[in-house]
Amino acid sequence: MINFIQFTVTRAFLSIVTLLIVCFIVFSLMELVPGTCAERYLAFKNTQGSQISFEDIAAEEKRLGLDKPFLYRYTKWVSDIVIKQDFGDSCILRISINELLSGRFVLSLTIAITALLFSYAIAIPVGIISATTKYASLDNALKFISYLGIALPNFLVALCIMLFMTVYYGDTMTGLFSQEYENAPWSSAKVQDFLSRAWLPIFVLGWNATAFALQTVRALMLDENDKLYVMAARARGVSGMSLLWRYPAKHSLGPVINSIGFDLNRIFSALPVVALILILTEAGALLIEALARSNDQQLAGAIIFLLTATIVFVNFVTDIILAIMDPRIRKGVMGGS
Amino acid sequence: MEVSSAKKEAYFTATQMQLVRTRFFGNRTAMIAGSILLFMIVCSLFADFLSPYDPTIAGRDKEYENGAPQIPMFWDKNGFSPRPFLHTLTKYRGADTNFRWVYKIDDDKRRYVYFFVKGWEYKSLDFKINLPGKKFDFQFPGFTSDRHLFGTKEGGIHLFGTDKAGKDLFSRTLSAIYISLAVGTLGVFISFVLSLIIGGISGYYGGWIDSLLQMFTDAIRTVPPIPLFMCLAAFAPQEWSSELRFFFISCLLGLISWPTLARRVRTHLLSERSQEYILAAQMSGASSAHIIGRHLLPSFTSYIIVDLVISFPYMLLSETALSFIGLGLREPVNSLGVLLQNATKADVLLNYQWYFIPVFFLVVLILSFVFVGDGLRDAADPHKNK
Repeated sequence: MINFIQFTVTRAFLSIVTLLIVCFIVFSLMELVPGTCAERYLAFKNTQGSQISFEDIAAEEKRLGLDKPFLYRYTKWVSDIVIKQDFGDSCILRISINELLSGRFVLSLTIAITALLFSYAIAIPVGIISATTKYASLDNALKFISYLGIALPNFLVALCIMLFMTVYYGDTMTGLFSQEYENAPWSSAKVQDFLSRAWLPIFVLGWNATAFALQTVRALMLDENDKLYVMAARARGVSGMSLLWRYPAKHSLGPVINSIGFDLNRIFSALPVVALILILTEAGALLIEALARSNDQQLAGAIIFLLTATIVFVNFVTDIILAIMDPRIRKGVMGGS
Repeated sequence: MEVSSAKKEAYFTATQMQLVRTRFFGNRTAMIAGSILLFMIVCSLFADFLSPYDPTIAGRDKEYENGAPQIPMFWDKNGFSPRPFLHTLTKYRGADTNFRWVYKIDDDKRRYVYFFVKGWEYKSLDFKINLPGKKFDFQFPGFTSDRHLFGTKEGGIHLFGTDKAGKDLFSRTLSAIYISLAVGTLGVFISFVLSLIIGGISGYYGGWIDSLLQMFTDAIRTVPPIPLFMCLAAFAPQEWSSELRFFFISCLLGLISWPTLARRVRTHLLSERSQEYILAAQMSGASSAHIIGRHLLPSFTSYIIVDLVISFPYMLLSETALSFIGLGLREPVNSLGVLLQNATKADVLLNYQWYFIPVFFLVVLILSFVFVGDGLRDAADPHKNK
């Protein structure tokens, strides 16, 4: 047990270090973007008709603390996030980023995780079928469909379904809520409305992720299926589904759990572009908005930080789950038993 | 199974590369995908010769904007002709077409298609390296030509139709495939070099250097790549020229995608460096450089090639995604992402479906890459002996 706690603590420590490195990279990126937050805001105000002088910029920089050295600001940014859960203000919009993101990030997370579950629900059984089927044509067809999920750009699929719905059903399917629920408080009707629209991004993101998960499952099953212990089990008379579930499938579950973090990574990666097409009001679309349109480095940094933190957290949890589940790792972690 | 001894002999004495090649050629799906891929690459290399019009704005057809694809035919109601021909079109708009320009086909007037015709001038094998300092400039003039595979004497021939500026989509698609492949190749090359260096150092030295580098690699791997791309691509100032942008985007693709390959290189080196043949080489007094170059690198060249091919489609897709949201390549440059961006308008989908033809090529290109990569991976798998 002591070993297990030690393992958990080490893992947690490593995750935090990873997160700090990521923070550093993201923060440096934000710094390297030409122009500071103050200049940007004042330039924005300039377009609104007010005159801006160099003194104004200097004053604004002082107010935002931009005259302080790089390391000081980095420490402040990180400690604000960790201690106060405060991401600061958006450069352009001048509202607290927390406020801007609070609801949206949860939405993004919901969509991404549902898409992940959807992809696993399909990939695991289909992967097993594809690996164990006697019919090469079935295997090839399944393989082709899953590769198509990789080859078709997500946004294209989203766009085609959306336009198809528009032409044949007269509903654009864009956004996450219909108009009457847009600003309404959460209720069962709103959840229903959300689901009736959210399936589209979930499906699009899920298909793409399915392709990867399917490849993993299939390759693992093929590898395990030829191993001696499976042959031994077969010789003992275990066959069919019970053989599959007890031996190779169970064995290949470990790497699949291990890949959850990276699958989530992939979904997060695809999310912004899909969100842009479907005009979803969630964090991914906001990220593109911040990067491509308004150059709002503070906001972009916060979103990338949140996405990465989620993945680091998921990786941490899957490591722990694996340590509990997989006897080989458990042995390494707990020493014997 | 009856295997002749000569065959057995050949199997046991074959080098790793020969084995991989034999297995790959035996895989039908991979071979088909490979031929398609090769065909597309060759087409893109000879894009200038194959395309009847300049893919840039210089080659636009003012008389045929947003025009539908024109398929050459051999017969119509007036009979058969051994030389393919097109019908003459006239531009027309009126109340009955809702004041939209439409093209009326006059199917009595034939326009014949000729081969190896003179058209716009292009350069092939044109090489220029421009380093600071006059001495390092290197220029290979190449040769200019104005011959094209096909063309017409009067009017235009647009196999895939034209876009709203009248640019020929067939020519644009060909040059877009070329540009996208070039971006991908450059990106793959950069990530290859980076991963060899970082993975190589990490794997060969091991110890704390390894832990430190792995921590860094893992940290980069956790950040979702496309948001990171976007963040980096947002650096490119608006006023950059398209060539600079092109180079910048390729570098980005390489800079972000190295961690996966670096990890593979490292794992392989770690397991390989404790092998006996390395020890033997060390005992015989071989230097580190010699061991890396002569023993370690050749031991996994095939895996690296496989990994490079596998990572190629993701480069293409990333480029497409970036260009699509407007942070990647931009209009005067033709890339598949740019063409895709043009296609994603409701107006286009309802009225000008031929804008989607390049999308088809993108999908085929990526699919064939994926299948070739798959076949290579199977072929390079040492546990699979056949």
